[in-house]
Amino acid sequence: MTTAKPVALTSSEPAAVLDAITSEVLRNAFVTAVDLMAEQLLRTSYSFVIHARDFSGALSDAEGATVAQGSQDVAVQVGTLHFSARAVLESFPGDIFEGDVFVLNDPYVGGTHFNDVRVLRPIFVDGELLAIAQSNGHWADVGGAAPGSFDTAAVEHFGEGLRITPVRVWSRGRYLADVARLIAANTRAPSDAEGDLLAQAEATRVCEREVLRLIAKYGRDAVLAAFEESQAYVERIVRRRVGDLPDGYWEAQDFIDSDPRTGDELVPIRVGMRITGDTIHYDLSGSHPAVGNFLNSAFGGTFSAVVAGTKTFFPDVPLNSGFYRALVVDFGPEGTVVNASWPTAVTGFYAGPYEKIVNAIFQIWSEIIPERAISTSFNLEYLLVGGRDVRRGRSGQFMYYDWMAGGWGGRNGKDGSNATASIFGVGHAIQSIEMQERSSPILTGRCELRTDSAGPGEFRGGLGQVKEVSLTDCEGAVLSYCSDRARSVITGTRGGLPSCPHGLSINPLSPDGRYLGALASRLPVEPGDSLERPSAGGGGFGEPLNRKPEAVRLDVVDGYVSIDRARKDYGVVIVPDSDDPDLFHVDEIGTASERRRIRGERVDALRTDPEAIAEMYVNGELNELDLVRQFGVILDWGSGRLLRRTTQQFREVLLNRCASFWGQ
Amino acid sequence: MGQQVAVDIGGTFTDVCVADGKGNLQVAKVPTSDGVTESVLRGLDEAGVVLKDAEFFAHGTTVATNALINRDFPRAALITTRGFRDVLEVGSGTKSDLWDAYADVAPPYIARRDRLVVGERIDGIGRVITPLDLHDAEVVIETMRRREIETVAICFVNSYVNPIHEREMERLVREALPGVVVSVSSLVLPEIQEHERFSTTVVNALLSPLIKRYTAGLESELVQAGYRGQLQLLHGGGGLMTPRAAERYAGRLASSGVAAGAIASRHIALSCGFENSIGLDIGGTSADISIVADGQSRIVRNWHVDYGHPICFPSLEVLTIGSGGGSLAWVDDGGALRVGPRSAGAVPGPACYGLGGASATTTDAQLVLGRLSTSLAGGRRILDPELAEAAVADVAADLACSIEDAAVGILRVASANMADALRIMSVRRGHDPRDFALVAFGGAGPLHAVELARELGIPEIVIPPHPGTTSALGCLLVDTRHDFAAMFLRDIDAADPYEIESKFLEIESSARESLLDDHVEPERMSLQRFVEVRYRGQYRTLPVAVGSPVRTLDGLVTSFHAQHRSEFGFSQLEAEVEIYQLSVAAFGVTEKPPLTPDSWGSPPLRATTHRRVRSNDGDAWLETPVFDREHLFPGAELTGPALVSQSDSTTLLPAGSSAVVDDMMNLRVSPCEKAARR
Repeated sequence: MTTAKPVALTSSEPAAVLDAITSEVLRNAFVTAVDLMAEQLLRTSYSFVIHARDFSGALSDAEGATVAQGSQDVAVQVGTLHFSARAVLESFPGDIFEGDVFVLNDPYVGGTHFNDVRVLRPIFVDGELLAIAQSNGHWADVGGAAPGSFDTAAVEHFGEGLRITPVRVWSRGRYLADVARLIAANTRAPSDAEGDLLAQAEATRVCEREVLRLIAKYGRDAVLAAFEESQAYVERIVRRRVGDLPDGYWEAQDFIDSDPRTGDELVPIRVGMRITGDTIHYDLSGSHPAVGNFLNSAFGGTFSAVVAGTKTFFPDVPLNSGFYRALVVDFGPEGTVVNASWPTAVTGFYAGPYEKIVNAIFQIWSEIIPERAISTSFNLEYLLVGGRDVRRGRSGQFMYYDWMAGGWGGRNGKDGSNATASIFGVGHAIQSIEMQERSSPILTGRCELRTDSAGPGEFRGGLGQVKEVSLTDCEGAVLSYCSDRARSVITGTRGGLPSCPHGLSINPLSPDGRYLGALASRLPVEPGDSLERPSAGGGGFGEPLNRKPEAVRLDVVDGYVSIDRARKDYGVVIVPDSDDPDLFHVDEIGTASERRRIRGERVDALRTDPEAIAEMYVNGELNELDLVRQFGVILDWGSGRLLRRTTQQFREVLLNRCASFWGQ
Repeated sequence: MGQQVAVDIGGTFTDVCVADGKGNLQVAKVPTSDGVTESVLRGLDEAGVVLKDAEFFAHGTTVATNALINRDFPRAALITTRGFRDVLEVGSGTKSDLWDAYADVAPPYIARRDRLVVGERIDGIGRVITPLDLHDAEVVIETMRRREIETVAICFVNSYVNPIHEREMERLVREALPGVVVSVSSLVLPEIQEHERFSTTVVNALLSPLIKRYTAGLESELVQAGYRGQLQLLHGGGGLMTPRAAERYAGRLASSGVAAGAIASRHIALSCGFENSIGLDIGGTSADISIVADGQSRIVRNWHVDYGHPICFPSLEVLTIGSGGGSLAWVDDGGALRVGPRSAGAVPGPACYGLGGASATTTDAQLVLGRLSTSLAGGRRILDPELAEAAVADVAADLACSIEDAAVGILRVASANMADALRIMSVRRGHDPRDFALVAFGGAGPLHAVELARELGIPEIVIPPHPGTTSALGCLLVDTRHDFAAMFLRDIDAADPYEIESKFLEIESSARESLLDDHVEPERMSLQRFVEVRYRGQYRTLPVAVGSPVRTLDGLVTSFHAQHRSEFGFSQLEAEVEIYQLSVAAFGVTEKPPLTPDSWGSPPLRATTHRRVRSNDGDAWLETPVFDREHLFPGAELTGPALVSQSDSTTLLPAGSSAVVDDMMNLRVSPCEKAARR
């Protein structure tokens, strides 16, 4: 796919059959119809992932264009529902009837990954197809080699899970139980899968009922005109705002940790953006070839990232295909990490390219609209453990599937928000530990904000978390860990500093402890094993030496920042002269001289011989925060082996995004 | 029977409602002043109540809600399990505004520095993994002493299954710091899910000292004024409790304010014979919507004042949307007309108040269209039509239409927003609004009622006699109520009905104790049992009512399948069913004031004046008679177009609608033309 897509249409004026007021009434009613569908799904779903709000819904017109999305939909699925609707329309030309329901999850026709199963119900009036209701939810499992269908080592999709190309599951109102069974039987929990299928199909009926009601009240023509006007309205707002901005070209890049095929080298994702008149053109053609694991994205996931990144700078604009009309996206040649094609593995797109594209877009728009600027935010991460639960009175499989909240980037005039759901979907709730301890033989030892995890800056990033769990009464357990940014550590903006690396450690306190890094696949684990991992904080915003010493002191009082890092990162000397941190105070003179010292040394520190720094890390003289923040050195954090090429790339980023903003 | 007094204290007004025991109601509305008790006494005075004649005094209050909104608390601490210091701050990690990267979740009610940790751990099935560390406990108590903490929440992981460490910590704190108010999560809300339980317990801890002080002050002033009875407080679950219970469960008062309206609405609808009703209370800044189906209000177990900080006491479900008389109208950069949720508030208020507001509000639009008198609240509020027109003219310029068309547009959009909210409350529950009656009250409810009813196909509207003070009436209409729940996670096949029965008996015995504490005599106690059930694997549950004693679970499963089908459109007869929780609602039935039907016979109706009023449908200005509500007696019939004016509200009857006054002085409105009643 090399051509721009979707096509940008010219903005149209409101159609004649509609007055402005009725049009506003209907536009809201369409969103309500989708939200009613979401509300029902939330109450009937089986997948705990859907329950955590990893789902979305849409009402499409007869061409498949999205008229309304749910107001609380997960970000990662936005901008892909129109592709699913079109895929169904194109797969069944002239063969769609009232009472039919279709299902698909195919990422290669604009989906996201196999877990996101989309259920579509065409809506008919007098035999004419007028609209489509769609409910998309993340199923807890869709088969494949690994529980939860996240095989981080997969190179091709065959091991990842069941690929469902568009298929009919209800035919003229009759449930095709054989087809549904085929789908459900290819998952690890067939009855939950069928339950979710029923729940989603029933939810689309709620949307259908609302649309039929609106047609009965306002008439077919008015509703159809409002479908178009709802999109034109959104397109008008976006184009008007973009038209008010100066034309120009911007570019930014972010990185995936590595390609297993090449090893020590960050994998660049490059985003170019041009504004001409009232249209935004994105260019991703400069990105790296597809990588040799599942951290690739097909065009659907990539388009979603472009929409989500852009939408963050238009927070009040409703989402529908009108938004997409003002965007022209060049995905570049097929076969890249952002435009992967069948059968390349793409399930990890959300941890790989997705968040990198969004953060690169954040960088670009932060320059254009500085009052909404935001530094880099943490990368989604998932831990999966599956096995047999042998606690008293229990039997059978358990599946522990855990993701964390993390820190968002510092902002212009405001610290980043602490431990918030990832940019993948800020409505995506983390789970209750008490519920997890009920359903899995896994005990959480610690789950709290991690001191010093925030990237320092005049406005620091938000804090990430640390979570430590241990396995108790289980057998035959294996784990997978899916993350990124152990090496492509989150950096700051406008002089702000990096936060901290990701990575899972097993038995970190014991002598035979191991650091597994950001990816692990189907590793056997035993009762007593302890698993610890951080979620990164957000990158800092602005010169850290300009942060008010009192703000640093309060961060120390709250344990957000340690006394040690207050001195190293902010040059603020805190005197712990009381039993109660509440009463610590700032040493003003010490702070002034410490800040002078840092100003004089910090740029040179980024040019120190990395080999020497790596050795000091291995000897325990420096820790990983010193390495990423003061020296720009990236290691394999387990062995202490220097990643020379990666360090070189990381230092370039620091010099460019941080050091160039530092005052003398 | 003596006088029964109900007082509802809102942010702007204090409403008083008195039943004299002979079937008559008296109401008064006075501005809420800083001294809350003072407002109460002034309101009583205005209603002509002598407290020594009162035998019942019930009170709904926004004191707790306002404290949560303004974050005006005594210094508080949280004691929690080491490693879980940030449960309160992180919560579910989600935001309410998904796309605005600058809009943050409100900070936790207790800052990290005051979240103190101790070593202890109990696992998911109740086994002690790490005993309570007494040295840690000592350090924490010392810190609290030094920081002069007034109130503390004790919240440990898995305390819902085994509270032993929490109770031990409670004992230590009470011994060492007898002046500190203690809230313990396993007593406040013994339910699974740490964030919800901790957050609820913290809210309870923050409000306890405030409520204690507040009720003590009010009680002593009431005694001074001659009241000899028991003060009763309305809680968010739609029941009363005494100040003593309120101190322990102060968090239950957090939704006291909105509950009163929902209760009154249900009662009014039931007394008119409607088992299904929607309550619509439109005030200055918001519209509160509640629903009653088959005579029952819906209860929710998770709501909040600030997103991210849930309060999980059972509360009457009320949906509040930012659409009221002060909602601002503007044209956005896509050319669409938008109304609310931004509001002009009480100050500066709508442009026509002349208090400095320049932007158009729905009240300005109503005034432009002739639907409001220029003098409201008995002459206490004078509206300036020229200011209203100027404000609406700005909107008209952006829309390139006439001022009247802009005003009509503003009201249509406002109505559509409310209609969507009504639809969400009814349709998403599987209810068809055409089977419901609409009870419209609050200052602005009766202005919008007919249009909304037409939009939703609602066949009947009830406008109570005193729309502006209806909420206060709600406080007279409720029973003492306490809610109790216990976790009971079992597959239904593995559940033993006898075990369930004995668990219910256990819960009921604490329920009876609480009622006794509230001075409820045993013969007035009434207990209802519910089992919270779901399909195994589902995340949400449905409450299924069960009788007593429980001897078999067959009926439970059948009822659950049926309830699931009716609410969500499907059931799975072959799927496994799971019990989640057992709960008991405990009532102490109070004596309700008799609202005796008035005698029939209306003097000939005469309009006090006429105004030209613009309708929403056509573009005609109609000469419209204005009736004084005080002149309307049972049997009086009105035909739209007409306006009914009273000091606290205005009712709009557009052409095609009609109304009759019933024997309880309600205005019964038929939104559409049909055969006249009686």
